[in-house]
Amino acid sequence: MSMVMIGLEIHAQITALNSKLFCSCRGNYRDLRPNSNICEICCGLPGSLPIINQKAIEYSTMTSIALGCKVPDKIMFYRKNYFYPDLPKNFQITQYNVYGISSIGIEGKYELDDAKQIRISRIQLEEDPGRIVYSEGGMNVRNTALIDYNRAGVALIEIVTEPDFTGPKEVRQFLNKLSLTLEHLGVCDTLLEGSVRCDVNVSMNGGNKVEIKNINSFKEVEKAINYEITRQSSVYNRNLNIELETRHWDDKKKITFKARSKEEEHDYRYFPEPDIPVIVLGSDFVSNLKQRMPELPNQRFERFILKYKLSEHTSNILINDKKLADFFESTLKLHFSPTEIANILVTDFKSLIEDDTESTDYLKNLKVKPEHIAELAKLIEGNKISRITAKDILVKIFESGKLPSEVVNSSNSYKIADEKTIMDAVQSVFDTEKSAVEDAKKNREAINFLLGKVMKFTNGRADPKIAMRLINSKLSAPEKQ
Amino acid sequence: MTKLDDLLAYEVVEGLTEGHFTAEEYVISILKRIEEVEPKVHSFITLDTEGALSSAKIIDKKIREKEDIGQLAGVTVGIKDNISTQGIRTTCASKILENYVPTYDAAVIRNLKENGAILLGKLNLDEFGMGSTTEYSRYHPTHNPWNLDYVPGGSSGGSGAAVAAGECTVALGSDTGGSIRCPSSFCSVVGLKPTYGRVSRSGLISYANSLEQIGPICRSVKDLVMILNIISGKDAMDNTSMPSSPITVPNKSNKLNVAVIKELITGSDQEVAKSVFSATEKFQEIGFSCEEVSIKNLHYALPSYYTLASAEASSNLARYDNIRYGFDYPIGEYKWDTYFSNVRENFGEEVKRRILIGSYVLSSGYYGKYYLKARRLRSLLRLELLTLFKKYDLLIGPTMPILPFKFGEKIDDPIKMYLVDVNTVIANLAGIPAISLPIGFSNGLPIGLQIMAAPFEEQKLIDASYELEKVIHIQRRPNSI
Amino acid sequence: MISKEDLEHLAQISRINLTENELEKFPKQLDKTIEYIDILEELASDDSVNLDLQELTFEELRMDEISMSDDKQLNKNITEDGFLRGPKMK
Ligand SMILES: [Zn+2]
Repeated sequence: MSMVMIGLEIHAQITALNSKLFCSCRGNYRDLRPNSNICEICCGLPGSLPIINQKAIEYSTMTSIALGCKVPDKIMFYRKNYFYPDLPKNFQITQYNVYGISSIGIEGKYELDDAKQIRISRIQLEEDPGRIVYSEGGMNVRNTALIDYNRAGVALIEIVTEPDFTGPKEVRQFLNKLSLTLEHLGVCDTLLEGSVRCDVNVSMNGGNKVEIKNINSFKEVEKAINYEITRQSSVYNRNLNIELETRHWDDKKKITFKARSKEEEHDYRYFPEPDIPVIVLGSDFVSNLKQRMPELPNQRFERFILKYKLSEHTSNILINDKKLADFFESTLKLHFSPTEIANILVTDFKSLIEDDTESTDYLKNLKVKPEHIAELAKLIEGNKISRITAKDILVKIFESGKLPSEVVNSSNSYKIADEKTIMDAVQSVFDTEKSAVEDAKKNREAINFLLGKVMKFTNGRADPKIAMRLINSKLSAPEKQ
Repeated sequence: MTKLDDLLAYEVVEGLTEGHFTAEEYVISILKRIEEVEPKVHSFITLDTEGALSSAKIIDKKIREKEDIGQLAGVTVGIKDNISTQGIRTTCASKILENYVPTYDAAVIRNLKENGAILLGKLNLDEFGMGSTTEYSRYHPTHNPWNLDYVPGGSSGGSGAAVAAGECTVALGSDTGGSIRCPSSFCSVVGLKPTYGRVSRSGLISYANSLEQIGPICRSVKDLVMILNIISGKDAMDNTSMPSSPITVPNKSNKLNVAVIKELITGSDQEVAKSVFSATEKFQEIGFSCEEVSIKNLHYALPSYYTLASAEASSNLARYDNIRYGFDYPIGEYKWDTYFSNVRENFGEEVKRRILIGSYVLSSGYYGKYYLKARRLRSLLRLELLTLFKKYDLLIGPTMPILPFKFGEKIDDPIKMYLVDVNTVIANLAGIPAISLPIGFSNGLPIGLQIMAAPFEEQKLIDASYELEKVIHIQRRPNSI
Repeated sequence: MISKEDLEHLAQISRINLTENELEKFPKQLDKTIEYIDILEELASDDSVNLDLQELTFEELRMDEISMSDDKQLNKNITEDGFLRGPKMK
């Protein structure tokens, strides 16, 4: 059995910000004409100075708190010096944890579902570089890089863990939980393309650490780790040494490949950024922020159980999809019936939207709104429709966006509570399902089959309680001669 | 009456307001003067004749229409060519920025324009401000108006010479280690390096951000105050700028306590020391108390300055890779890093030396040995000076330890060149204000007195300078041109 | 002492080509400069000294608001699509 140690270095954009980290250009650079979202600061014109965004400090502090980090009273920025065409100043403004003053978060702990703790070494606030598009084809452009600085200067939170993961599953759990936390904090919409990136380091059996860079979504991380473990195992089994190296993840071929060694020879020549004074957060900053901070997934989970009396299972399903949980709570504001509404959402509702949850705004685009679900729950509780009918109605609402009452009216779906009508249905079932009736007389469990038939006969509209009572009484009644 | 081109700034504003002459007449007189002396002095890199004339016409129109013309109306200002001017080429006297036209104005330029000042053009300097003679300009050296065989000092040599020669009413320079005060001393004009943070650096093309400030160079203390008050203040585009109160002149001043820094006297040429002594006597005659003090950490100031300035410069100048702006150098078939190195070969020798030294002192392994020690010295020196300022209002000494020297005298020995900054770097390291005031001549070569005060105590500097200026009558216009 | 290799390494990380003349005279000149700043070694390393001149409070920082001008920031080597054309990457 081999021992695997994995550490992560995660970059998450603060997509919640209006503006960039050091200038007033748009934080949302997506879908804009190249180089149209730039100013003298973010494209590094001579003489321009970084002007730090207050809100970025706030969001990164909240993230640090959520990941159990200490937040110091004073923070500082550093310059990381290296040349690359996507870097307008040929240095990156970031943070660095030496010589006294630290980055926004240090020495954190984050718990996985099985109570295993992952140590967070540090959390840093830094700027994103621009983007290089490698042009393909065309004689004139083949040899040049096409650069777009629209992204340059967007605020990034870098989260660095200790190598505490022992396998890809733990990593997946961590990343899922982290995404959820970032989403709850409103810091990062992790489903936006390019909003999260991950570098991974993997070492096995106490061997050298291999760093894998360029993993551009959380989903790919597990694949890259699996590939790397297999690769390292085979090297190990052949009694060869695992090299200390940097590799890149190729997300088309799904393999890691060795980076050219030259790129590893970095001496970043860090030094304090002279254009940004030390920022004094003050001793009350963290405690004040904690009070204003959005609820974290764990807190919300506990609240759902305590306040709404939901089961752990149901709460979990809701919490794990923040937008669904938000939808749930908006519905409660219209009609406070947690169990019924949660039930609709985690079963029928969720199965109807399942295919869609990848897109970031799937709930916004739905025709179904909290109003619909609230009304649906009322109809069920008022015994106006049966649960089975409710599902069909939901399908119709999804398609038409009509209110449940309208659908019920037009399709004549109200629940049948009239004993006479139900009795007629029971009678016809008894007439056609003779052998099942005989079975049910001997074995009471077969009754459910008969109930199902009655429900089907009434298109799910019969009140199941009444139907059950009638079936029971009919079964025990002496047979007609 | 004085010739039009010899008027001081406050006389220009008065003359205009009272209708003695028009702004256009005044600007034409200055342009004539430039035409006359520029072939000998070579202060300018770029002259904006048309811009100056059209600004003058606008002011004249405003006067006719009785509109507000601003506190500096009609005052012609020469701008050191490392301060960004929208639409006017800004070269830093470097080949690398030969074709660079800023898209934005430096904060100080905005301030000047808003107050009716007329921009004349861009003045010569040592490339990126690195040097003490203007011999390192990639265009041409500037000549000292008092003796054309001598250097005007630097790096703001163009500013010092232009003001002394009457090519502009006032000028802006920048001072990283003495770059305003050195040419002020060598050209017999008044120059101030303000307290760090008093004047916004937004748009000043960085050489060493933590040390430098923009400041005025003028022919009188009163002029200097006019400019200083206009360019001072907290600016949203510079996180290191700070609010300050305006200076008044003449000011009802107390008798001040002055201390002469012993080491600066003993390190100076005899002629220079003699001149400083007689200035000291003048101070005593007007009722100031004069003592002698010693600065313990002075010995380490210059090495510390060169370490920090080079470190910051190596990073600041990394952005000049010529892909966003710069000079004509086709991309061709070069790979990006080869292209960068080729392009950057076009820095001048001194700039290259400082970049290399900067990279060296920041390299891993050397950071603690040089950079950190230099930072520490800086703090110690500041503390020591602040302690002295509890006892004394002002610290004085010669601005330059030597008289102006001839071209070529020091250019082949970098250390010899660095040593001329030994008196001036103190104020930059400590972030305190320092002024250079003309106090006499030796063989026709100017001598300047440096006065330093505690942070934001510019008023005291000005009070002392104004009093001294009144009792020392210095010839204002050189005979040689 | 700065060797020729040291100099070449420094030039490489600084992305600067040196001329023949500079390769010739820089080692000696840089040596002298480094020798000059070596005096800093005499200073004790003491972490108790506060190294920073300036501080900003959280309240003084920029509000998160968008403000953009229409000015073109980049003027050269722009493709029809708006990309900046740079040198080749490989
Ligand atoms: Zn911007």
